[in-house]
Amino acid sequence: MASRDVVHYDTPAQRVLRVLAVIFVIFYLAWTLLPFLIMFVSSFKDLLEAFKLPAVGDWMGIGVFFDFTATTKHYETLFQENNFSRYILNSLVAAGGSAVISVIFGSLAAYSLSRVEFRGKQDLFFWIISTRMAPVVAVMVPLFAIFRSLDLVGTLPGLILAYTTFNLPFAIWILKGFFDNVPYGIEEAQMVDGATRFQAFRSILPLVAPGIGAFIVLCILFAWNDFLFAAIIGSGGAKTLPVATRELVQPQNIQWGAIMAAGVVTTAPMMLLGLVIRKYLVTGLTMGAVKE
Amino acid sequence: MTETLAHAGDADEAHDRFRARKVSSEVEARPLSAKLSEPKTFNPAARKAYYFYLMAPAIALLAFISLYPFFWLIIMAFQKGDMGPVEWVGFKNFADLASDGRFLSGWVLLLKYSAMCLFLQVGIGVLLAIIVNGSRYEKFLVTALLMPMMMAPAVAGLLWMFLYNGTFGWYHWIFQSLGILGSGSILSSAQTSMYAIVLVDVWQWTPLITLIALAGLKRVPRDQMEANMVDGASPARNFVAIVLPNLYPVLLIAVLLRFMDNFRFIDHILVLTGGGPANSTKILPVYLFEVAFKFFDLGRGAAIALVLLVVTIILGKILVGVFDRPTTGGR
Repeated sequence: MASRDVVHYDTPAQRVLRVLAVIFVIFYLAWTLLPFLIMFVSSFKDLLEAFKLPAVGDWMGIGVFFDFTATTKHYETLFQENNFSRYILNSLVAAGGSAVISVIFGSLAAYSLSRVEFRGKQDLFFWIISTRMAPVVAVMVPLFAIFRSLDLVGTLPGLILAYTTFNLPFAIWILKGFFDNVPYGIEEAQMVDGATRFQAFRSILPLVAPGIGAFIVLCILFAWNDFLFAAIIGSGGAKTLPVATRELVQPQNIQWGAIMAAGVVTTAPMMLLGLVIRKYLVTGLTMGAVKE
Repeated sequence: MTETLAHAGDADEAHDRFRARKVSSEVEARPLSAKLSEPKTFNPAARKAYYFYLMAPAIALLAFISLYPFFWLIIMAFQKGDMGPVEWVGFKNFADLASDGRFLSGWVLLLKYSAMCLFLQVGIGVLLAIIVNGSRYEKFLVTALLMPMMMAPAVAGLLWMFLYNGTFGWYHWIFQSLGILGSGSILSSAQTSMYAIVLVDVWQWTPLITLIALAGLKRVPRDQMEANMVDGASPARNFVAIVLPNLYPVLLIAVLLRFMDNFRFIDHILVLTGGGPANSTKILPVYLFEVAFKFFDLGRGAAIALVLLVVTIILGKILVGVFDRPTTGGR
């Protein structure tokens, strides 16, 4: 903090750098946010208006982008003709189901892994985490064969189980970090007061509850955004939002308006959830390796 | 002062007697008082079996959905595709891979794709983090940057397919107006299609590198920078000597994570190009997808998957090694 008190004068070179930095950030922001704007606005445009572009090189013609009359017909198509309410439900059940299963089993396993030492623990750990890091397509080859023999392909339970392949190891790995930070002394104190071991475990749950909550949300996010598992294992009976959106692309007829609307429907809830758990996002996405 | 130090030493000894396990050193709940008597019956650790019972359901479930399929995968790799009667073919599936041009070019393309993605993501990401760090608008900027990461990669692929479209795509129009592209879409030519998918990946995941780098920058010790400045170092010199070494461990994690994700996620490639045109974007996982789930040649697919898995496991081993280094401040 002390350096704040030092009066600092920019050299001309630094001033130029500063301006360049601002320009860079503005350009980057524009390139990052423009697709969202285009998706959102196009979902309310009639197709003819959505396809309007200024002439090549005519930078002043960008105004055509905002030249349209808003219509909600693409959203109506989604829900009336394409059965999207059903797909939203599928997505919710599949993502929520696997998140809840993962966090319940995961927290028990994470707690015990955090409290006990045994030989081979590191190997067990590596197995758990490598399950999370394995390429989805590679995992899916045998999983598909197994699920087919069990008649799980195209069903929601099958999809929930498939999502658990990446959510459960993730939950164990992250939650163990949380339990590691809870001192054993709290449980000891509970047990001195006459609690059983399991009651002592329950008594420390409130301490990790915010973390558990955030990671239920992250698990939902991963599962909701998944495409490969849903396309192969959920195909048919358990179509989720990304797959349904993809199916709006047909060889002869790409329904761009409906696709943009479906994109908004799929993305908006996750964006809100992402903002809610903002604090845990970096920890979650780096599997606990980097903490903010 | 000296007394406390002495006690701290004692506490270390007592540590093992009083605890069933080592707790993290940051949190110390028990008063570090003077030597205590031998605690014979005071809260013995639970039997290990108790913890194994708690662990069992998760481990069993995980074994069913990861270990069991893994063995199944090994068996499948030695069989002919599983349509029809099972037929053992020995190492034929693997032998075929050696002469399979697509398999080999899949690796080359995967590496090329990863190299381009990582180069751009790390370059832009770190630059952004340095600019954003400590800025007045940091909170707003970070929130805005987060947005692409929340989008399903498949949906991102579709959105960019719209933006790249040769007749009505806005980004195509921008590229064309800047004179980078001709009238053909970036997706339609084998020369440019790789850049198209790299751009989507960069758009979606550069913010992650920025966030990780920001977390790293926050940890750069201020006193070292000040000391260096007092010694007359220029800001550039400061950056090279203090900031970069502190940033390096988190960046290593970021790069490894993204590298593995390039193996993991092919959603946007499947949606955007499906590996085409002329196989120019058929990186190995995409090729595997095609073999296993388009041609349903599961035996050959299993062989490719096995090779891919072995490589990821090696990469994972490296990554976990980095996690465990004390400098990264991880667990």
